[in-house]
Amino acid sequence: MAMTDSVLDAARRSAAPALPKKGPLVWLDLDQAELDAAYDQSKYAPNQAQVQERRLFASKRTRAALGEPLRFAYGASEIEGLDVYRTEQANAPVSVFIHGGAWRNGRAADFAYLAEIFVHAGAHSVILDFNSIDAAGGNLMTMARQVRSAVAWVYQNAARFGGDPNRLYVCGHSSGGHLAGTVVSADWRKDFDLPRDVVKGALLCSGMYELKPVRLSARSNYVKFTDEIEEELSALRHLDRIACPLIVGYGTCETPEFQRQARDFAAALTAAGKPHQLLVGEAYNHFEMLETLANPYGLLGRAVLAQMGLPIG
Amino acid sequence: MRQYDRASEHGLSRRAIFAGAAAGALAFAADPAAAQRCAGPPPPHAKGPLVWLDLDQQELDDAYDQSVYAFNQGTIAERRRANSELALKVLGPPQRVAYGPTEIEKLDIYRSKRANAPIAIFIHGGSWRNGRASDSTYLAEPFVKAGAHYVIPDFINVLTAGGDLFPMVEQVRRAVAWVYKNAASFGGDPNAIYLTGHSSGGHLGGCIVTTDWAAQGLPLDILKGALLGSGMYDLKAVRLSKRSQYVKFTDAMEEELSAQRHLDRLHTPLILIHGTLETPEFQRQTRDFYAAVKAAGKPVELRVGQGYNHFETQETLANPYGLMGRAAFEQMKLASA
Repeated sequence: MAMTDSVLDAARRSAAPALPKKGPLVWLDLDQAELDAAYDQSKYAPNQAQVQERRLFASKRTRAALGEPLRFAYGASEIEGLDVYRTEQANAPVSVFIHGGAWRNGRAADFAYLAEIFVHAGAHSVILDFNSIDAAGGNLMTMARQVRSAVAWVYQNAARFGGDPNRLYVCGHSSGGHLAGTVVSADWRKDFDLPRDVVKGALLCSGMYELKPVRLSARSNYVKFTDEIEEELSALRHLDRIACPLIVGYGTCETPEFQRQARDFAAALTAAGKPHQLLVGEAYNHFEMLETLANPYGLLGRAVLAQMGLPIG
Repeated sequence: MRQYDRASEHGLSRRAIFAGAAAGALAFAADPAAAQRCAGPPPPHAKGPLVWLDLDQQELDDAYDQSVYAFNQGTIAERRRANSELALKVLGPPQRVAYGPTEIEKLDIYRSKRANAPIAIFIHGGSWRNGRASDSTYLAEPFVKAGAHYVIPDFINVLTAGGDLFPMVEQVRRAVAWVYKNAASFGGDPNAIYLTGHSSGGHLGGCIVTTDWAAQGLPLDILKGALLGSGMYDLKAVRLSKRSQYVKFTDAMEEELSAQRHLDRLHTPLILIHGTLETPEFQRQTRDFYAAVKAAGKPVELRVGQGYNHFETQETLANPYGLMGRAAFEQMKLASA
């Protein structure tokens, strides 16, 4: 029966790699194959395609509910634009979302489903577009520069859409969690002539904060890591520049490295005396974690609304 | 549970043990398959004689076994527990009241602060065999915060009932009647009672909205709306499946407890929900029920969750912007946030 088979295929789409013989360790107690798998979400999230399908579905529904967003350019190139879903309140706080997709995929429009909880709670929701790593010729610095510029643009232009520049918050997930880490650890004074605390709080979920193991993994096949990129874009190495409270989150069904990255980053923040909160999603995988941000009663949604001082529900 | 057995035959548990030795504390999560208990592909299957529509016995049995289609049943149960614990801390313990004579016949009331507030009653699923009201606390918070009371009854399971579905339906009916008659006691509006059911609770919900309320001296429209997700509305196919091993179906049970056969008694507007990754039968049950209610000229709406399986569909009820949550809020005219 064709329908049964196709449904079964979809429901069970899974990766169950054959058991390899352990090779030499390349990072902590992981051999190359294990490290590569630990930076490949598809190996740990068998329902990656389904979660994406429902994100696209939910985002369409949100755009139907809220209307199409305002679109602004924050930079010179075509991709450097951002979507603004406006709340009705004047001088309202602003949430900026940086999407993930292994640095390779994703468009702002397809993350619209995250906007509704902010808009209804009285904040503007800004969702960024930026280059994919492939379009950037493998250079992560380009992507980091774009998202930092976008945040600077929002700070300087918030009044144009009724936003309060002094209540600017950032959320990032997955590779967007990494990029959000580079935003909160940017040298705002030197590079943008802006106050250190341009961002008042951030959620970094399921991200990477130290690029050394990432550089050792198969991701090097498409990211052209340099010593400078590894150094400048590892938020863990620039804790002194962090000037806002952070929420760091991960799910217990994520890859071992994505769990470790979050735990180690939180431990480093503790050691540096930086205010933060570590959120652990019991039995959530990498992609399911983000779904909890689209819910004011979900793990991430609840925490972010509280961080922004917005009512929950 | 067939899939899980097969998974261990294929060596998943050995893999987990190996990974444990190799990776220490990360052992469990380090094994991709074990991380979500993901079943392998189905074995080759020689089609047998058809027993229901175009399904043979194996296919029909699978179509009434959620574990075959929802690889993450176990992980979703885990996070439901974790999220319910969280919600309990936020809401505080519910008011627990007896609605019938037996020990199990009690219901949990999560009270909203709003006076004369609308009431949502949630009927839990669990193949008629499992589930307790306290497992569903995580569903209450969005409703309570939006100004509605949330009521979750406990009721007998089919095993304790000796395989008989009637006592389950009778108890749930008694719970609804109790809420109607006692709404004022907890600040509820008896004229704004809504029902939600999921899975076997969707089946029970179907029986509730096709109850002959007038025979009990209660208004026909005692329920102002119902949201039924992932349920069963005609029991013939279920009776032919392996669920007969624990439900002692009779002709009377099949007839009386198939909501689709009693649409003349339906006086409640319905929203019906299913996910596209549910079993073929659970999708068909909802589609057919929707078509029948529509053909009977009764108010009904169908909403389909793109990319959701059976259990994921229910999780969307805990989100005012989710598939089921949004539907319930719209039906009850509650404001999101």
